[in-house]
Amino acid sequence: MLGDSIVTVTGNREAFIENYKGILEYTKESIVLQGKNCRISFQGKKLSIEYYTNEDMKIGGYIECVRYF
Amino acid sequence: MLHWIQYVKGYVSIKVWGYSTERFLNLCGNHDILVWDIENHGDYYTMKVSVKGFFALKSLLKKTGTRAVVLQRYGLPFFVPKMKKRKIFVTGLLICMLFWILTGFFIWDIKIEGNYSLTEDVLMDYLETQGVHTAMRKKNLQIEELEMQLREEYDIITWASLRVDGTTLVIQIRENELADNEYNSQPEAENVEPGFDAASGKDIVASKDGVIVYMITRKGVPQVAVGDTVEKGQILVSGAVPVYNEDTTIRRYQYYEADADIMIMYEKSLCVERKTAWQDKEYSGREKNILLLGFQDKEWNLSAGKVKFETYDVSGEKKQVQLLDHLFLPVFYGVKQAKEYTLVPKVHTEEEMQQIMEEEWNKILQTLDEKSVQIIEKNVTINKNREFWVLNAHMQLMEEAIQTVPNTTEQIPVTEREEEVSTE
Repeated sequence: MLGDSIVTVTGNREAFIENYKGILEYTKESIVLQGKNCRISFQGKKLSIEYYTNEDMKIGGYIECVRYF
Repeated sequence: MLHWIQYVKGYVSIKVWGYSTERFLNLCGNHDILVWDIENHGDYYTMKVSVKGFFALKSLLKKTGTRAVVLQRYGLPFFVPKMKKRKIFVTGLLICMLFWILTGFFIWDIKIEGNYSLTEDVLMDYLETQGVHTAMRKKNLQIEELEMQLREEYDIITWASLRVDGTTLVIQIRENELADNEYNSQPEAENVEPGFDAASGKDIVASKDGVIVYMITRKGVPQVAVGDTVEKGQILVSGAVPVYNEDTTIRRYQYYEADADIMIMYEKSLCVERKTAWQDKEYSGREKNILLLGFQDKEWNLSAGKVKFETYDVSGEKKQVQLLDHLFLPVFYGVKQAKEYTLVPKVHTEEEMQQIMEEEWNKILQTLDEKSVQIIEKNVTINKNREFWVLNAHMQLMEEAIQTVPNTTEQIPVTEREEEVSTE
């Protein structure tokens, strides 16, 4: 659907996210992003944002769980 | 690539903390300010942002109630002003780079591989005459021409290859494995028709005065027989084989490379004299180390003061400065050791002299053996007196004392031959 977020996860080490509105939470254990229709939560360890622009972002670290709510 | 662009433009590492850092990140995204390597440290965040972006952060910080400080500056815009203050360092760096680039234009080492009978010194001397030496410009090196010259100069070299490896000139050669005359004579012996040109034949001559004791001729006309006394240079087997007319006169000559096994017996006397007195070096144990520095063929002592010993031995080693695997500079360094000694006159005992003379005699035998000389008879005497021991050897030797020389028998002129034929 138009405006939906695109999440590309490579293994459990990195995730590439496009089409999102902003960051709601950022800790080492959890990163929560606001999409157009839902929120996306990444749970894990040693999470970090490798880069961050208006269009896309890349998350690194040990991802344990990706949850939409 | 991106990293290089960021480096050229310059970026800073910042620490951000405060009320709503997530909102601060969102605003960065909305204002197209690229931030990367964002790390959460609990109370604060660290991230990297371009210099241009950093100046645009001010309003965002205010809006979100966060604060930011620069932790570290990276990139060319920060590096250049720093270097301006360190002029000597920069100059040194530039000179160093220039030096490296310039030295790369020269040959600093010559390696020769694959030479067995041609010594490295001989080849080096030849290269020197051709203008090839260390510290020469790479540009002046005519590789293909030099390869050809090497092959032409030395018949034994059948293949030569030159390449420049870094600043080292590597010369690889292959030598002819067959002995020179063996190699040259083979085609003639096999299937080449006998020539009528006098220059194509070869005679065998004696290389020593003596008596022929054994002779088997395979090719050519024997000029002597077993039991004959010959002189040095005398033709033993002629390569010119006569072709007779019916009236037994010689019509013409066919020229071959004469081939024969000939043993010549001759007498030889040797006299070896050795003194009983000799001087022994007694080292005092006093040593002096001399530091050396050399450039090409020149050498300087770096140690202060001269060597004060009256007589001394010098030993040591020199090392060439090597920057990379094949990058040699014409600079040498090393340590020489001067060891003081005094000469003490001594006299050999009878046993020692006996041993010395035996060694001398063994040397003579070994030399003869190496030359494949057989000893038929020998008479060795040792005369002793207080100062000298004299070894007199009178030997009857047998060896293949022959030499191959160009033919000397001239061809009978054609007109003469024709006349003879016509008269027949």
